[in-house]
Order: sequence, then C-alpha cells, then structure tokens
Amino acid sequence: MTLHIPVMFMGGQYNHLIVRALKELGVESRLIQPSMTLEALQGVDGLIMGGGPHSVTQGLERFGRATEIVERCTFPLLGICLSHQLIGKILGGEVVKGRRPEYGRTMIRVIDPDDILAGIGSEFVAWASHNDEVRRAGGRFRVLADSEYCEVEALKDERRQVYGVQFHIEVADTPKGKEILRNFIAICQK
Amino acid sequence: MGEGRAAIATSGGVDSTACAALAHRALGDRLICFFLDTGFMREGEVEEVRNLLTSLGLPLKVLSVRERFLEALRGKEDAEAKRVAFRETFYTVLGEAARAEGCRIMIQGTIAPDWIETSGGIKTQHNVLEQLGVDTVGRFGFRILEPLLELYKDQVRALARYLGARVEASERQPFPGPGLMVRCIGEVTAEKIDVLRAATCVVEEELGRLRPPPGQYLAAIADDRRSAAGEGVASAAASAAAVAAAAAGLVPGARVEYLKGRATGVKGDERAYGRMVIVSGDDNGNGDGDGDGKGGREPSELFGLPERVIHEDPDVVRVLYTVGTGRGTGRGSYVVIVRAVDTRDFMTAKPTAVPLVVLKRIAERVLSDKVSTVCYDLTSKPPATVEFE
Repeated sequence: MTLHIPVMFMGGQYNHLIVRALKELGVESRLIQPSMTLEALQGVDGLIMGGGPHSVTQGLERFGRATEIVERCTFPLLGICLSHQLIGKILGGEVVKGRRPEYGRTMIRVIDPDDILAGIGSEFVAWASHNDEVRRAGGRFRVLADSEYCEVEALKDERRQVYGVQFHIEVADTPKGKEILRNFIAICQK
Repeated sequence: MGEGRAAIATSGGVDSTACAALAHRALGDRLICFFLDTGFMREGEVEEVRNLLTSLGLPLKVLSVRERFLEALRGKEDAEAKRVAFRETFYTVLGEAARAEGCRIMIQGTIAPDWIETSGGIKTQHNVLEQLGVDTVGRFGFRILEPLLELYKDQVRALARYLGARVEASERQPFPGPGLMVRCIGEVTAEKIDVLRAATCVVEEELGRLRPPPGQYLAAIADDRRSAAGEGVASAAASAAAVAAAAAGLVPGARVEYLKGRATGVKGDERAYGRMVIVSGDDNGNGDGDGDGKGGREPSELFGLPERVIHEDPDVVRVLYTVGTGRGTGRGSYVVIVRAVDTRDFMTAKPTAVPLVVLKRIAERVLSDKVSTVCYDLTSKPPATVEFE
C-alpha cells in the first residue's frame, strides 16, 4: 500500500522539493497549508513540516494549527529548519538568534543516531540556511546531532516519534538527505 | 484552453522551448511563439534562438523592442525596481503582440523555482504574475497557462529530450528572461551591457571547455566603486578589520574592499540584498610576476572564505576573489565577476572548482581600459543566489 505523507507548507524555498523527494521514493505527497487541523489529518502515515522565513522567537500565533499538531499528533512527524525550531520550542527548549548563522555547507556531527539518523555515519555534509537555532537546555527532547556552530542540528521527542532537523535533507547538496528521508519513511511504515 | 489561438513567450531557454514544443503538439497552428529582443541578449543569441525554434518547426515572431527596455530601466539601480520595470515592459509588449494576433491565452514555461522564489519574496521573476495576484486579463488582455509549474530544471531537461528537442536545446545553459540585465549590477547603460556581453563571450568559451562543464557559468558586471568598510554596522571599520583578519587565514596578506552596489541573496528563507566583498591576495591577482600565470590560491582552497567573512559581517551576501587586475592600461570603470556553479535543480548550488590558470586566462582577455578587475565568485546558494539581481 502506498504511504501518504503530506508536507505542510511553511513558506520556505524548499518545501516543494520535499514533495518531490517523497514522490521519488514512491510515497504519495502534496503540499498542505498550516490552517489544516489535526482532525483533517486523520489517516496520514506521517507528516513533514517544511522551513520558512518566520521566527518562532516572535511568538507562535502566526503558525496557524501547526503548533497544535506538534503538541498532540500521534503519527510520526518530522520538522525541517523553521519547523525543527518550532518543535524544539514547543518541547520546552529555547530558540534564539544564532551567534553564527549557517548559510550553505555545514558539517553535521551525529551524537545519537537513534532511528532517524541510522546508517548515515558519524559526520556528514549538509546544506543549511537559518538565522535562529534551538538551544540544548531545558527541552524535553534528545539531541541527536550538532555542528561546530549550532548545538542542536537534530532532535527527537522523548516520548513520541517527533523529530527535527535544522539542516535541509530535501536539497540535492545534502547527499545523505535521501537516506534520512528513507529512515523517516521506514518509521512511518511501522 | 478551449477554442482560439494561443501565444507563448519563448527565450530559447530549455523551459520555454520545452513548453513551446509541448504546446505545439497540442495546438498545432493555433500557436504563435514570440521572442522579445530586449537588448539584453548575448552575442549572436537572437539569430541562434531564431534558428533553434524554427528548426523545431515552431512558428516564431521576433519583436525588436530594445529601446523600450532601456528607457524603462533608465536611472533605476535597485534590483527589485529593475525586475519589476522589466516585467511590466515585457508584458505590455506581449499584450500588444497577442492582441494583434488575436490571442487571448498566453502560455508560459514557468517552472517551480520561479514561483517559489517570487512568492517567497526572494526575487521577482519576470514570468510570475498570477501567483502574486496580478489580474492579467484586466491589465494585459490575456489569461495565463503554465503547464510546467511543478517541474524543476533537471525534470524539464528530461521532458525536452522526450519531446525530441536537440541536445543544444535540452542541455542549454540557463539564461534568465531578463537576460544580461540581472547580471548588470546597479544601473543599466548601453555601454555596461556591451562590456558585459563581450565578457560573457569569453567566459562561456573558456568555461564551456572544462570537462565536465560547470552546471551554469556566466559573467556579471559592477561599477568599480569601492570602500574600505561596510555600512550600517555599529563599527564598520572594526568589522572590516575583522573580515580582513578572517580572510587572511586563507589568503595571506588579504586585502578586503566592499563594492558600492548590492546583490541578491537568500538567507534563512528570506531575501537578502547585501554587500559584495572583494578579497585580494598580496599578489593582487596577478601571480608571482614570472609571467606563467601561476601564483595565488586556487578557488577550491577558498570555498570556506564566504562563511568566515559572513560570520564577521552578516550584511555580506557574496565574497569575490580577485584573479586579475589591469596593469599599465590605467584603471577601468567596471569590475567583471566570473560565476560558475554546480547544481541539480538551482534551488541550492555550490561554486565550481575552476582552476586558477583558467580564471587568469579569462582575466587576461577581459581586462581593458574599461575593465579594471576580474573576480571569481566563491559563494554558494544560499547565501547568494546564482544570478546577481
């Protein structure tokens, strides 16, 4: 049976590329708006939330229903870039303007591969583009990866299959991105 | 689309060519192709495009409208103001032509990055209207049809091959609709475009010979007006010193200068219209003086440089490395920038490791009494974009 993993459009440049990457891996996908309710998402196998230009440091009002979905969803959820920060914030972490924002190439260091980063190796090249970043302290999440300039590059909710990655797995310049996406699809399959 | 005739605006690029070939299959002689000679085309391009499209059996009409574009752009320095002026002139001309041919439908080869970048406020692509809420029927007299909206460049190339387009068409270098205009940083003048057109010839010839050739390669031009420090930062001089120190880690004795103009970039999903920094080594880009063109750092050794510079000054979107400066002939009034990137889909891109000796050969050919300096752009996308405005 074909899996169905929609992508919530958060206004970013690469959101539509996530749909493309999922389709290339045989998953049914489409862009959905952040006004979509959790109820309307009944029956999906998982959800990916994309990046975007807003900042969670300016309050969570502008994120529509996305905050509620992060708080209450029971299906696997993966947040990328802005949505990684949104998940970090909702899980009690702190989101601040980065001292050393990353634009372009960065080197990700895996601390704890868990299931989402399984089989990727201890270090890999990724493309990132972010002004804000999640801080480690206080969050109800495990830190799965960091980089020289950013202390939370990947995280996982302690209790659920909710993940965040600060870098962009959906762009061609992140060579291991597709493997990470495959890992997430495998999580959705279970 | 119903009955009646349709027009398509073609540039000779792979997107509009594939789209025209597709539309021609569906509509036959109900289709007419327009090509606007804006004055911002490359050397010989008008003839090339004419040959390419007619060889595919497409009915073509060339509209010569150079003066109207130059007029619309006069005095405009801001990249977005230029892009909007280009778009308005472009569609006004197209609307007139479509009316004359009795076409109520305009087909366009708009692809995914076009509407993504425009809706995201990164830059106004000239072919994106309806996604911004522009009423095309009321303003220009036609409805727009965009069959390739979901595709990326590599997918369009596959489509073009499927439709039987010649290799030259399917693998053609991307060339933006506004053409050389978006590579002419700041105000557009006829002289600046002429110098850029000549430099483009050299860059395409030299970099087209690389195996494999870069994903995209081009020349851009900026007025040679420089300052020692950035602006708008609390202590511009201190920041410039820090930038120079950061650069010196990779380029011994680095000198850092800011160009006066600004260029387009994308940082954290937001448009960035930032400064360009020129880094020159102590050899001033001219090698070690023994005439073999050697000396200086290979660009591939410097790909960490933009990161270091932008950490010190977040207002910077591009870091340029001097590969040649004029000697003896006096100082010209322009800087020519060589840009080459590798990319799958143009959503992200990394600079190509062009050998320094090739860049120096380009510099030798491009430097003149009008061109003072030739630089190589070391910046990936993000934080820069592929094109300059």
